[in-house]
Amino acid sequence: MSWTAVAKKDFRDASQSRALWGLVVVFVAVASLLAYAYAEFPTTVAESDEATVGGLVFFMASIVGLFVSLTAIVVCYKSIAGERELGSIKLLLALPHSRRDVFVGKLVGRSAVLVAAVAVGLAVGYGIGFVMIGTVEVAPVVLFLLMTLVFTVAYVGIVVSISATTGSTSRATTLALGFFLLFELLWDAIPILLVYVVNGFSLPETMPDWVYLVTQIPPSSSYVLSLIALMPDIADSIGTSSGAEEVDVFYATPEIGFVILAFWLVVPLALGYYRFDGADL
Amino acid sequence: MPAIELDGLTKRFGDVLAVDGLDLTVEEGEIFGFLGPNGAGKSTTIDILLDFVRPTSGTASVLGYDAQRESLKVRQRIGVLPDAYHVYDRLTGRQHMEFVVESKEVDADVEAIMGRTKILEAADRKAGGYSKGMRQRLVLAMALVGDPELLVLDEPATGLDPNGAREMREIIRVENDRGTTVFFSSHIMEQVEAICDRVAIINKGQLVAVDSIDGLRGATDTTTTLDITVSNAGADDVEMVRALGGVQSATLEGDTLRVTMSGDGSKFDVLNALDDAGVEVGDFSVDEYSLEDLFVQYTTEKQEVLA
Repeated sequence: MSWTAVAKKDFRDASQSRALWGLVVVFVAVASLLAYAYAEFPTTVAESDEATVGGLVFFMASIVGLFVSLTAIVVCYKSIAGERELGSIKLLLALPHSRRDVFVGKLVGRSAVLVAAVAVGLAVGYGIGFVMIGTVEVAPVVLFLLMTLVFTVAYVGIVVSISATTGSTSRATTLALGFFLLFELLWDAIPILLVYVVNGFSLPETMPDWVYLVTQIPPSSSYVLSLIALMPDIADSIGTSSGAEEVDVFYATPEIGFVILAFWLVVPLALGYYRFDGADL
Repeated sequence: MPAIELDGLTKRFGDVLAVDGLDLTVEEGEIFGFLGPNGAGKSTTIDILLDFVRPTSGTASVLGYDAQRESLKVRQRIGVLPDAYHVYDRLTGRQHMEFVVESKEVDADVEAIMGRTKILEAADRKAGGYSKGMRQRLVLAMALVGDPELLVLDEPATGLDPNGAREMREIIRVENDRGTTVFFSSHIMEQVEAICDRVAIINKGQLVAVDSIDGLRGATDTTTTLDITVSNAGADDVEMVRALGGVQSATLEGDTLRVTMSGDGSKFDVLNALDDAGVEVGDFSVDEYSLEDLFVQYTTEKQEVLA
């Protein structure tokens, strides 16, 4: 159980990052603002007739997606590469920790930091929203928090794994920012670009079915999709759609979100650990 | 069971052969100096002992355990002061120590150990604000947690002032008296000379000598030059000195008698002989062929001979 010592040390260390606390302050402010906006003007911001707890829960998912991805990068990009570049990993691995312990400890420690940060923001945002709406529903809140936990750990895993592939922080930064740019900012254009190329450099009348799948690949898309799969009625009530109804193939269901999220949870970790375990430090 | 055993250890980084077929045995209970110029392969060898780096071929075992396959057992039983490490800036000295205690799952009096390495008064400050010397004391304290059977110290005197380096040697001696084997690397002969039972000199990844300090002196053409101020010495006195054991040459220039001697000669024999012969001995100076010279000889001339 030596990863617990690594995780504890890492939590102590990473939770003192100023950049982290800056992001938490921003997240608390934005979450509060969104909660207020939803509770006050549900028709304007979420196309729903009246503010409900379920609607509020869902409405927050979009900002959580952005916050988690950005914060995961800030908190985790140096998690292993930084220790290798500076040489503090020599203190860590001079002790009886296997590289797996270090890897798992980093994942758990940084996940705990991020989960705590997300929890603070959501607690404040929900607090404001619940008070304004006047009721609390347990089921959607619990489902949302569980999904958010999985999503957060998956994102931490992605960035820790990126960090584990290299001993250079500048390279880790490039890779992590590249990941963010590609999957969180530019991805909407990717399926269209693919179709354009595949179709002989012109756009067809109707998009092929596989575009649905490609569109859902980014971690945050698979997170929202998973939420839709868990709470279809609520998603519908605030006008959030997966777009699955319009496509008639077996994989065009919101449930595919679980599969994609599971991919993000497992594959980067496996690759990152494999590279780290074989490396000369 | 030897504390460290290297057998044909080789490590290649791309085109660079960092360690080239090292065979070395460090016995239990000794203070062993691992000496070589910068870039000779010392740190790479130590990195292999700790499984930071995997050998290209050959094996390394520490305390009877394979350094690669049984690395956790190795690291549970040793204390390490690595080279080019970095402390966790945001954690205090005490938190560093607690981390070691938790990692090794041992009971340790953290404050007592920090007192021994003189870092206790800074225990509750963040290590990011420590000076280089303080960091070295902290990491040495971390290495001492859990009474390790073997201490591996990579350039332990780096960043320490002469006083700190002396205290470092003191701590090494005390640990050795408690039965701990000490393996430490250095590129400075002086530090090794002062406390080591045996020394290995490596250069360009290869072992060039393993011996005790005295053995090293004897094995090379070390000479001591003695300049003695005499007032009434004659040619027969010079002749007499030349005949003494270990004396290679004796020449008289004015009032100065210059005597060169090999490693096994005794300067006191020379002085006594002159005294017995009725020569008035005034001042005298000794220019001993230092181990530093020896080190230079091993790491430059011998290599040229080999090459």
